[in-house]
Amino acid sequence: MKPYGFLDPQVLARIDNLELLARTVVDGFINGLHRSPYLGLSIDFAEHRPYMPGDDIRRIDWRVFGRTDRFYVKEFEADTNANFLVILDVSRSMDYASGGITKLDYARYLAACLSYFSRQQRDRVGLATIDNDIIEMVPPSAKHLEIVLHTIERVRPGGRGGLEPPLHKVAEAIKRRSIVALISDLYDEPQAIVRAASYLKNKGNDVLVFHVLDPAEIEFPFEGAVHFEDLESGERIPVIPERQREQYLQLMNAHLAETSRLLVENRIDYFRFETRQPLDHALFSYLSRREKLSRVR
Amino acid sequence: MGLSFLAPLFLAGLAALAIPVIVHLTHRERKEAISFPSLMFLSKIPYRTHRRQRIRYWLLFLIRSLAIVLLVTAFARPLLDDGGRAATMFAAAREVVVLLDHSHSMGYGDRWNRAVDAARDVVDALGPEDRATLVLFAEGATAMTLPTADPVALRAAIDAAAVGPDRTRYGPALLLAKEILERSDRPRGEVVLISDFQRAGWDARQAVRLPESAAVAAIDVSTGGAENLAVTGVATARVRRDGRQQLTVTANLANLGSSARENVPVSLEIEGQPQQVTANLAPGTSVKVEFAPVVLPGRPLRAVIRAGDDPLPGDNSYHFVATPIAALRVLIIEPSSASRDHSLYLRRVLGIGTEPGFDVEVRRVTRLAESDLTDRNVIILNDAPFPGGVLGPRLQDAVAAGAGLLVVLGRRSPPGAWSPEGMRLLPAAFSDALQRSTSGGGTIGYLDFDHPVLSVFREPRSGDFSAARFFRYRRLAARDSAQVLARFDDGAVALVERSLGSGLISVWASDVENFWNDLPLQPVFLPFIHRLVAHVGGYVEPAAAFRVGDVVELSQKTALGDDILAPGTELLVESPAGGNELLRPQEDSRYLKLAEPGFYEIRNMAAENGQSFTAAANLDPSESDLSPVDPAVIVAAVSVTSSAEAAPAEGVVLSSEDRERRQSLWWFLLLAAGLMLISETLLSNRLPQVRMSS
Repeated sequence: MKPYGFLDPQVLARIDNLELLARTVVDGFINGLHRSPYLGLSIDFAEHRPYMPGDDIRRIDWRVFGRTDRFYVKEFEADTNANFLVILDVSRSMDYASGGITKLDYARYLAACLSYFSRQQRDRVGLATIDNDIIEMVPPSAKHLEIVLHTIERVRPGGRGGLEPPLHKVAEAIKRRSIVALISDLYDEPQAIVRAASYLKNKGNDVLVFHVLDPAEIEFPFEGAVHFEDLESGERIPVIPERQREQYLQLMNAHLAETSRLLVENRIDYFRFETRQPLDHALFSYLSRREKLSRVR
Repeated sequence: MGLSFLAPLFLAGLAALAIPVIVHLTHRERKEAISFPSLMFLSKIPYRTHRRQRIRYWLLFLIRSLAIVLLVTAFARPLLDDGGRAATMFAAAREVVVLLDHSHSMGYGDRWNRAVDAARDVVDALGPEDRATLVLFAEGATAMTLPTADPVALRAAIDAAAVGPDRTRYGPALLLAKEILERSDRPRGEVVLISDFQRAGWDARQAVRLPESAAVAAIDVSTGGAENLAVTGVATARVRRDGRQQLTVTANLANLGSSARENVPVSLEIEGQPQQVTANLAPGTSVKVEFAPVVLPGRPLRAVIRAGDDPLPGDNSYHFVATPIAALRVLIIEPSSASRDHSLYLRRVLGIGTEPGFDVEVRRVTRLAESDLTDRNVIILNDAPFPGGVLGPRLQDAVAAGAGLLVVLGRRSPPGAWSPEGMRLLPAAFSDALQRSTSGGGTIGYLDFDHPVLSVFREPRSGDFSAARFFRYRRLAARDSAQVLARFDDGAVALVERSLGSGLISVWASDVENFWNDLPLQPVFLPFIHRLVAHVGGYVEPAAAFRVGDVVELSQKTALGDDILAPGTELLVESPAGGNELLRPQEDSRYLKLAEPGFYEIRNMAAENGQSFTAAANLDPSESDLSPVDPAVIVAAVSVTSSAEAAPAEGVVLSSEDRERRQSLWWFLLLAAGLMLISETLLSNRLPQVRMSS
């Protein structure tokens, strides 16, 4: 039995509506998990409604009764525990796919699912799309899910990437302690990545880094003497994959290891995904992280 | 020595060499680039340009390139320019036809061995550009090889040759040599005739004119003064005595040598009863040797005559079959008013017949019974009318079943005496008699000597019909289906015949009682009546022997005997050498060629009693005559130029096509290309395995 077979990213890519996609993933995941998603129970007043027999009399608003001589029951909605901000890297390098879906699409689905899921957790959701600058910013709000999803849906590949400038700006823009999920391919030096993430971390945010990679970037399965062209810069260099694969893999693995090590040392959660992996992995990672945060609070 | 090409445009195919280069340069950069998210790692890896174009499998590359070069070169049809040496060599090239006589006379002494040695010498003397054909000839000629420059094939053909039983004929061999030379592209032709040059084999009318450039060389392997004694034939005489046939055999012996032969033992072996006599033969003479009579049983006997011994033993024996001949049963029907001697001449003539004999019975037409008509070979209506009543149809049935009917129309056979039914059976309608007495009588003016009845009278002094005078005869109007055998001097039909069913009906227009003509008084009367009655009775003389090369028709009535084969039966033929051949029923007549001397046994597979028939075959007597003809006569008869004047050896310019065809380099190149491609297949299949395993 394939546990996540129906959540294959390539299958999900056929769903145009991001909300539907996110619901498909999240609800399926929750139903499969058999656990309550409602972790925070702080209540905010929402509205009054007439008392109905069977309603808990403790929820009758006596002050309204005193003014109107009618029984009204106070309706509450679960209060958000935190802001949840997705920072989506839409630089040109994300627009790459060796076979299935592009990293950007995978990141979009992931961002949508995380946002939808967080909204289910009564978090306020927001979104920032970046390349080497902020492209679009949706501040976290309890009512911004649709805007977030709509923004994600409209995302197109941007220009050259660079984490430090946009993350620095985002950190300045966030006024309230938030959970920040950075979804990127992290094509930058590990120290630069950590520096950029640290801007957010140092502001008191919980930072999660979702590192999205294509399998070809990890395995480098190319053959034959070819030119490789940088998606962002357009630069071309001749490559003999058979000869250079080993060194490439060494550099890539060293990069991943160093990035992971530095982020963890800075108490930044790091998750790596390949675009061929089911989206549930990402959700599960996030969920585990949210549980931990909840217990801490 | 340079290399040139007959079709140089094909060399453009060398551009195909780029194919293996492209195949091998698998590391060559592709024009299209692969987009990659970031080159931050790849740009840190040092890049070595020289590696990307390295050919990995040099051997494979070389094999592929070589295969293409060979293929293209082969199609361009290369030829080596040897400065005219090939043309000069080719100008001297000969098309040699070796005519090797393997007739029976070549078995005399060591003639055959010397002939084979001479043929081998001719092959050994062939130049590199020469080509030769071995032709074996006797009565016919057969090319044993195609024109070839391969001495091994020629020697093998010579070694496989052997002396045969046939007689010599030079005509077919020379004709075949002419055809070979005319088809040849060699500038010079040469015919080497190796034979014992028997005079009997040379017929100047069969001489052919060889091409002008052809020379004829004659190699005579005879040593001259050949001694040869031969049994050239036998004659048999049958005498009926006490109801049994006695056979007297007379052998013909010929001394074809130059020295006398004294006391030559001559033996007759027949049915285990050997007889031996001696004979003396002067040089160049023949004698007849008669043996004591032998009583013949009711079946054919094998007999062999052997005479003396000499270097050519094949003709010292003669095989024949002594077959008893049953007498023909003849019924002579006379008119009711006939005198006592009405059939006197007929009875007397038929009474002395031996081969075949005739059992004659005479009946008056008025006393004829149905039983008289059964089991008759010949029925003669000797001036008698056609029988009336039920006898008429019975007579017709008997003829249709195979009996013969001879109708003699004399003075007692007016047209009115014949019924219409009887008249319709005859091959000719007849009318009143024609008077020729006033003019001294008529004579026979025309005889069909091709007819079996009259063929023996073809030669002069073999039967004179002109002496007979015909004073009266009936006018015959031959029907369309009838064959006229003889006519009177006024053109009137004298003898006519037609077939009815399996039988024959013949009509003689005059009488045979010395009244209307005096033919019965002529010497020719006896053989004429004998042959006529035997022919009408369907008699076929059994042949005592055949010659090698004869083709015997195996029909129902053959020279082997009467009624021996039914249509549609299978026949097993055992040859003298012991070989078996099954002749399947395909048609009524089948043919058997007698290829070797001795006895052929022909068994009827359908007969329950193992019925078989024997045919004897002997060498052609002409082959026994070893007297030679001067080889120069034959050479002069067939040559346009003398043998000393060979074909021009200069001035022959070979075209490029000729030189290319002669060199045939393309064939070797194509073969090498094929080997290269096979090697490439094996190697290319193996290399990836090696790489994977490593």
